[in-house]
Amino acid sequence: MAQREVARAVADQAVARLGARLLPSAVPADVAEFRNGAGNAVGSLDVHRGSPGSSIDFMLQSSLHCEVPNGAIDITSILIFLNASTDAPHFQLELIQGSSTSIVVILDLLPRKDLAFHPDYLQKYYEENRMDEQRGKIEELPQTHPYRSPSLFVRSACSPTAIMVSIDCGQGGEKALEEIMHGQLATVIQEVLQIWLDNCADSITEMDEVERDCLLKRDQIVRSKSIEVDLTANLPRMFGPDVSSRVITEIRKAFGVQEP
Amino acid sequence: MAQREVARAVADQAIARLGARLLPSAVPADVAEFRNGAGNAVGSLDVHRGSPGSSIDFMLQSSLHCKVPNGAIDITSILIFLNALTDAPHFLLELIQGSSTSIVVILDLLPRKDLAFHPDYLQKYYEETRMDEQRGKIEELPQTRPYRSPSLFVRSACSPTAIMVSIDCGQGGEKALEEIMHGQLATVIQEVLQIWLDNCVDSTTEMDEVERDCLLKRDRIVRSKSIEVDLTANLPRMFGPDVSSRVITEIRKAFGVQEP
Repeated sequence: MAQREVARAVADQAVARLGARLLPSAVPADVAEFRNGAGNAVGSLDVHRGSPGSSIDFMLQSSLHCEVPNGAIDITSILIFLNASTDAPHFQLELIQGSSTSIVVILDLLPRKDLAFHPDYLQKYYEENRMDEQRGKIEELPQTHPYRSPSLFVRSACSPTAIMVSIDCGQGGEKALEEIMHGQLATVIQEVLQIWLDNCADSITEMDEVERDCLLKRDQIVRSKSIEVDLTANLPRMFGPDVSSRVITEIRKAFGVQEP
Repeated sequence: MAQREVARAVADQAIARLGARLLPSAVPADVAEFRNGAGNAVGSLDVHRGSPGSSIDFMLQSSLHCKVPNGAIDITSILIFLNALTDAPHFLLELIQGSSTSIVVILDLLPRKDLAFHPDYLQKYYEETRMDEQRGKIEELPQTRPYRSPSLFVRSACSPTAIMVSIDCGQGGEKALEEIMHGQLATVIQEVLQIWLDNCVDSTTEMDEVERDCLLKRDRIVRSKSIEVDLTANLPRMFGPDVSSRVITEIRKAFGVQEP
């Protein structure tokens, strides 16, 4: 499956480059792979915490596969979140596929500061690294349309160079979509990850106490809402309460967010 | 000219509703109407300050008309900015037209706070007002495409429900564009203005000193950058240094922003 291969390549690239900045995987076996009772939904979750002294908070990979009447839904997420030793953006990739001919792609460097209040931050992480050109390369494909998250919060948390598109190759377009996924999409994802690895993963930021407080508080809100509207929204429906709550507990642990 | 009529109707609606919250127009005659030496560019600027005790800081209307080899460029702006009595969003409308068959529309309630940090603010002014439905009504028109401001700052300052589109009716589409402008576009602009008048104009917000400081500081940055990248970017090219600097001085006065 193209989605699985593209995501695997991204994760491998990240893990290889981050090396000793990541600790080994830390997830219990019954969450690393999980399924529902009926057997028509399976998922996986992998979390690597950052090693002491690194700027990485955690790297999370998850996949969900759920059979539905006309096919299947596949969702893959890769998030690499940084900690308070830096204010650099987090890395986010989500691939949401409801058919073999179309896919929704969310790819972004999530800002940790209010961009309208901090134009210097905007310049440093988004203008100087020419993130908008990457967005352009995807949006110029004729099969793409903007994807508007139904959650205004998700839209607000993203950067102005976020790639949020649906790629729809229409009836009979299975091969076309695969070519795009293995081609232009894989290239852009890899380049965005490279930009992030080069500019964000190793960065350290001097912060006074007020700034650090603000960063942590903002991070906490974004993490809670992200988990709430995004990562966990689908789980109870697909996997039932027991499995979901085990998985959600691990996700909350990774994000450092309390049970609400 | 449809653009002129649509803008006039919006301004009239605002002024009628705001009534005594606005002082009479405050602009010197040689800025109220201005032109360049060659006579191929004319402009107008009108500023009403808010009356004492009202939450209105100012209402600014401007128009620019500049003849170019293949036609003309017409830009109309209506901005209604609130003061520190409230944290409610500002109102922004810009119509940028380079031909008789296409127009760029920017219509938004500009947030005064970091939406990712203040999900309650997001909910109050953007979810509960159902602003996103207005965006949907414009974007469902087949002739619209997203307009991505070349300025990342402008993108960052806008809300997640901002309407930023180009409407292109193609060759021979003059009449079609006029119908859209007098029809669906005028309706949506009027409804967004109404939402703003109902929810933002009369609001007052209790703020402690830290919050007020933060609001004022953020406003200041957004105003300076808006003037810099947006309102004044075109003036020197169209009108020459003398006229431009007179007009820019009045605009800076209205926004309460120092000469840089």
